[in-house]
Amino acid sequence: MAEPAYTVASDSETTGEEKSSSTFAEIAIGIDIGTSQCSIAVWNGSQVELLKNTRNQKLMRSYVTFKDGVPSGGVSSQLLHEHEMLSGAAIFNMKRLIGRVDTDPVVHASKSLPFLVQTLDIGVRPFIAALVNNVWRSTSPEEVLAIFLVELKAMAEVQLKRPIRNVVLTIPVSFSRFQLTRIERACAMAGLHVLRLMPEPTAVALLYAQQQQQTAHDNMGSGSEKIALIFNMGAGYCDVAVTATAGGVSQIKALAGSAVGGEDLLQNMMHHLLPDAESLFLDRGINEIKSMGLLRVATQDAIHKLSFQHSVQIDVDLGTGSKISKVVDRGEFEDVNRKVFEKCESLITQCLHDAKVQIEDVGDVILVGGCSNIPKIKNLVLNVCKRDELYKGMNPLEAAVCGAALEGAVASGLSDPFGNLDLLTIQATPLAIGIRADGNNFVPIIPRNTTMPARRELLFTTVHDNQTQALIFVYEGEGKTVEENHLLGYFKITGITPAPKGVPEINVCMDIDASNALRVFAGVLQPGSHLPAIPFMEVRMPTVDDGHGWCAEALHRAHGSSLDLVTVQKKI
Amino acid sequence: MSKQKLWIPLSSIVRRALRLTQRVPISSAARTQPILASFSPSNSENCGLFPSRGFDFLGSSKLSGRCSLSTQSAEKVVDAKCWNCNAEAEAAPFLVCRSCRCIQPVDQSVDYFRIFGLEKKYDIEDDNLERKYKDWQKKLHPDLVHSKSEREREYAAEQSARVIDAFRTLNKPLSRAIYILKLEGVDVDEEETISEPDLLAEIMEIREAVEEAADSQALKQLQSQMQEKLEHWSNLFAIAFRNRNFGDARKSIRRMTYYERVNEEIVKKL
Repeated sequence: MAEPAYTVASDSETTGEEKSSSTFAEIAIGIDIGTSQCSIAVWNGSQVELLKNTRNQKLMRSYVTFKDGVPSGGVSSQLLHEHEMLSGAAIFNMKRLIGRVDTDPVVHASKSLPFLVQTLDIGVRPFIAALVNNVWRSTSPEEVLAIFLVELKAMAEVQLKRPIRNVVLTIPVSFSRFQLTRIERACAMAGLHVLRLMPEPTAVALLYAQQQQQTAHDNMGSGSEKIALIFNMGAGYCDVAVTATAGGVSQIKALAGSAVGGEDLLQNMMHHLLPDAESLFLDRGINEIKSMGLLRVATQDAIHKLSFQHSVQIDVDLGTGSKISKVVDRGEFEDVNRKVFEKCESLITQCLHDAKVQIEDVGDVILVGGCSNIPKIKNLVLNVCKRDELYKGMNPLEAAVCGAALEGAVASGLSDPFGNLDLLTIQATPLAIGIRADGNNFVPIIPRNTTMPARRELLFTTVHDNQTQALIFVYEGEGKTVEENHLLGYFKITGITPAPKGVPEINVCMDIDASNALRVFAGVLQPGSHLPAIPFMEVRMPTVDDGHGWCAEALHRAHGSSLDLVTVQKKI
Repeated sequence: MSKQKLWIPLSSIVRRALRLTQRVPISSAARTQPILASFSPSNSENCGLFPSRGFDFLGSSKLSGRCSLSTQSAEKVVDAKCWNCNAEAEAAPFLVCRSCRCIQPVDQSVDYFRIFGLEKKYDIEDDNLERKYKDWQKKLHPDLVHSKSEREREYAAEQSARVIDAFRTLNKPLSRAIYILKLEGVDVDEEETISEPDLLAEIMEIREAVEEAADSQALKQLQSQMQEKLEHWSNLFAIAFRNRNFGDARKSIRRMTYYERVNEEIVKKL
């Protein structure tokens, strides 16, 4: 067997410590790894250029095929037939699986994919495997992503005639910090150094800022502030951003995102066409996988056609004796997916609300991503935004990667004589970060949509008399209770001076620096003064690995509520 | 009284502690250094208990000496020189060197108004604040100095954070009012218990109205009421401040703080 095509770096490479010490002589490239498609772009000295593979494609399918143990990805390998991708040997949709545990509904939904996704429903990483020579060969989303990235890297190195190390990657808004570490890990395995992980709509916002600045230059005007709403929906995720742009600076006012995308539309349609699919394909023999593949391709094809015509005839022989022959119209498709579309609408509404922006004040509405062709998506975005037309001037499938390439050039310290790189994105936190307190509640310390870098703090106190220790559980998310959020880590603070409950003051401070590293500080204040009683704790997060759901449960079993905290109430 | 999740930021306590330290004469500053070092006092968001970005916790004594928020004269800065190219500072505020574009260390004596080239008064008539803020970020943001020295990256992190705070503080009437009073050496205790009977009565009334509000329509109506009251007291503050009647100014701030809190409650319920 050949050596794996990637180098496995130690975990320390992903901690970000190293970020500051590396050199930035080269221009970082921009990579948009989509659930379904992927692209790579670079600033070529005067503009952003998308790189093409040997088959002259700018958009490449995101998948890796395992054949005889030698993996090859969608960048280089030529598929004889679409169906080969569905033979069980190809792993795709990595972006929907990475950094998720087997209790996650998104992982459960992925079980209809034509490879092995096995869950034990206990909060550990799912078992993922590709069918090679009739054997299920195990792998992981990180490994698949790394193999894919190695191919991308090699392709870019050949074309740019230089080694590639620094990259800017786009990521979904809803990714947790734990998921970000998994992406960084995959990059490290591929020998790439992550300069920045950019939420997709903020990359689009940067491209928009550049376009606005060029327009302002052309008109010789000063370019007043413009507010834009960006809606980005791909196969795996839906993201919304509201940005205020002036003079090449894009300030992210608010972000909203969720793991809904074209994949959900596809699965709902498949379920609509073959309601008992789950029980039919339970076995996952070669025949079942083939049937699942056939159904997937036929449904995907039908959805594409429904973007341009009102109804479509679906004829597919699943091979196992069942045949589907059905006419589906657009109304049916929209009805089957009503919940997905409702979710999209609510994300826009929420984002506008968080940005404290009235829809009338929005200058441009930008729709990008693989789902932007779907008439219903177009209509709902126009509807919610009360518009007749969308922003033109961006290729919806290339906007994110172009923005990432721009960020790569800006962050590499490049300047452009024509001011085309006179750009900046001021990011905001996509998810709130806080701790467990007041029972099982999540108490945010840095709320979502806080301008980064950010530093916030809150005071807490004890729940028991003479409590001398407390556990700090750090969570990220939007849920009211901690179970709805992602656990990032935990640590214990000791040395609280014995006192009646409610008297000691415990300060918890969170700091997100310019490179998006999160540090959590906690300290006990001396009674009557405002100095730390004992050395405070400083913890870089996230610290937990897979199976993190267990840690919180185990700690609760061991300690009950004896180490709990409550927030200090403000007097009125 | 209903339970509310409203918290005291340590920074407000820090500010109180600072009032004491600021009375210490300069000559004895050396003695107070260890305490001062652990609180970077200027900044209400960048609180002091924990080390500020880029500074070593114990080594941050370089902050002291010019950490006083008092109204130092602006002209002093002109003596400053760029740490990198040694060029004379051309214009105040000296955040970036004009000749080598190098980011300068934070000078706490430059107040938030001067960062934005504004006159130090409460009723700022500047629609361009956000624009100026962005212009600064384009020069100071840490994202833009990735390839520079560690020293300059530290300065970028601090300066950019300070400009964010400055913008946030001046952009909202209440925080602007509290800040401008602080520049006059008047501290506002946000945790003060309310003792004015008429305000107490009003609080109870509004509280009830918010709790009993049946729908978003009713809440929105309350919200616009609060907005009106905020504007009213903001105007009173402006007058009091102009007349240097700090007692009345503090009274206005108390009211504004309260209406702002109600507003937050309403937004939560909406």
